Amino acid sequence: MTPAAVSLEAVTARFAGAGGKEYTAVDGVTLHIAEGAFVSIVGPSGCGKSTLLNMAAGLLPPSGGTVRIFGDALRGINRRATCMFQQEALLPWKTVLDNVTLGLKLRQPGAGKRTEELGREWLKRVGLEDFGDRFPYQLSGGMRKRVAMAQNWIVGPDILLMDEPFSALDIHTRQRMEGEILSLWSGTNKTVLFVTHDLEEAIALSDEVLVLSAGPASRLVGRYPVDLPRPRNLIDIRTEPRFADLYRAIWTDLREEVLRSYAGPPSRPAGGPRQRP
Amino acid sequence: MPLNTARNPWIPFWQAAIGVFALGLWEWGARAGILDKFFFSRPSDVASRVWQWISGGSIWPHLAVTLLEALLAFSIGVVLGVLLGFALARAPTAALLLEPYIRMFNALPRVVLAPIFLLWFGLGIWSKVALGVTVVFFIVFFNTYRGVREVDPVIVNNARMLGASESQLIRHVLVPSALTWIFSSLHISIGFAMISVVVGEYLGSSKGVGYVISQAEGVFDTTGVFAGMTVLAAVVLILGAGVERLERWLLRWKPENSPQAGERDL
Ligand SMILES: Nc1ncnc2c1ncn2[C@@H]1O[C@H](COP(=O)(O)OP(=O)(O)O)[C@@H](O)[C@H]1O
Ligand SMILES: [Mg+2]
Repeated sequence: MTPAAVSLEAVTARFAGAGGKEYTAVDGVTLHIAEGAFVSIVGPSGCGKSTLLNMAAGLLPPSGGTVRIFGDALRGINRRATCMFQQEALLPWKTVLDNVTLGLKLRQPGAGKRTEELGREWLKRVGLEDFGDRFPYQLSGGMRKRVAMAQNWIVGPDILLMDEPFSALDIHTRQRMEGEILSLWSGTNKTVLFVTHDLEEAIALSDEVLVLSAGPASRLVGRYPVDLPRPRNLIDIRTEPRFADLYRAIWTDLREEVLRSYAGPPSRPAGGPRQRP
Repeated sequence: MPLNTARNPWIPFWQAAIGVFALGLWEWGARAGILDKFFFSRPSDVASRVWQWISGGSIWPHLAVTLLEALLAFSIGVVLGVLLGFALARAPTAALLLEPYIRMFNALPRVVLAPIFLLWFGLGIWSKVALGVTVVFFIVFFNTYRGVREVDPVIVNNARMLGASESQLIRHVLVPSALTWIFSSLHISIGFAMISVVVGEYLGSSKGVGYVISQAEGVFDTTGVFAGMTVLAAVVLILGAGVERLERWLLRWKPENSPQAGERDL
């Protein structure tokens, strides 16, 4: 059997919390993501989704457990992955074209001409061929996300990590971007780990949806294969009966966690007596 | 159109009008005998003195010395400030240990250093350069330090995920990020470099615009003092405008150009 593209084996993340106490954000999470799969992680805000993604990226060494990338234990930065962040991550002092080609220049400095050609190709693919000479601040939020997308895909990573990449966009721009992500991904063998707090987005895009419990010490509380056929029409998929069924099934799990996260850890959970052992 | 919008085309006109009015008032006051000519001179006298200096060429050697000192002070201060700012920003422990001393030196009014520099470096240009360096250094140092420390961690993480090595990170992310802070402190630094070397010249030298002013003062030549001040102000303005243009071009990627102020003045 080929090893999973991303394996988290009983990973735990602890941070130095207030007053010298340790804060356990993620506690013993195990998950395996097969090569070529599009998997989403959902969970209430603050539950540790970004933390998990950062561990898969190699930006945050786990306090316990192991991260494996294609079977090899990860040490340092995950060289086979790129990450699209929720916040703006473009270099504001570089033009759009230079931002897109940044990864190529970093990985193989001195490839000059070919790099620029490839950069222009990618700008075209994300519909920004006329904007190569602009600076990021001269673009709209949606356009900046496209630049970030090209910047990530151009280096040809095997794994794409995405941390709520579209949460700052308006709903229409967002649906377009979701469509663009799917068309970039389909037909490739790339693995996508997509973090979102939006369950609809997760179902519409993914092969599998993982539900993370409310923090602290969050764990995986559910995994749902999404058997909707591909290619998917993102505009209409939300009204399909199968989509609604999946949504209901996952939402019962997620709802409880969201309510628990509202209640906050010290008080009694509002969603029912689901106390942690 | 309200007067306080920066784009109002009448603004330069009114700005000039204020200056002309003030100078006119001064001239009139001096001619009418309200202002004592001995203490206040007259704009027309000051102007003709400046013209005399320029056309006669007597001011150029002094101005050249002052500019050389300021340029040296500026360059040395910028290089030292950038290097140390970078080093300390990358070495938090060292920064923590040195912090009280840096604060202490920065709190010191630079003028009090002038006598000691005169003793150490003599009456020539280097005592003035040293004084200018102490001023420029701190402005640039604080801005560099802050610039490196306040790099957006998301941008750093993104660059690392895209494959940046430690040295590439410095080149592509940390330096450009710090440069925005350094550049925005440059036009302040150049002005302060000029002012501090002139103060140094004033306190003891045989050349320079500061020397010209102190000579004029020694013989109660008020017109000469004002003329020296005028020359100095004009040069600082021209230099500042030049640096500001450079700055605006270098920071053209910024949404609106709002340079941060320097850390401290003289
Ligand atoms: N560097 C850090 N230091 C301290 N606490 C952190 C750090 N990063 C995350 N946390 C905490 O871990 C929890 C999970 O954070 P995060 O993974 O960002 O949540 P999510 O992405 O699901 O909204 C939060 O309570 C957050 O405060
Ligand atoms: Mg997050």
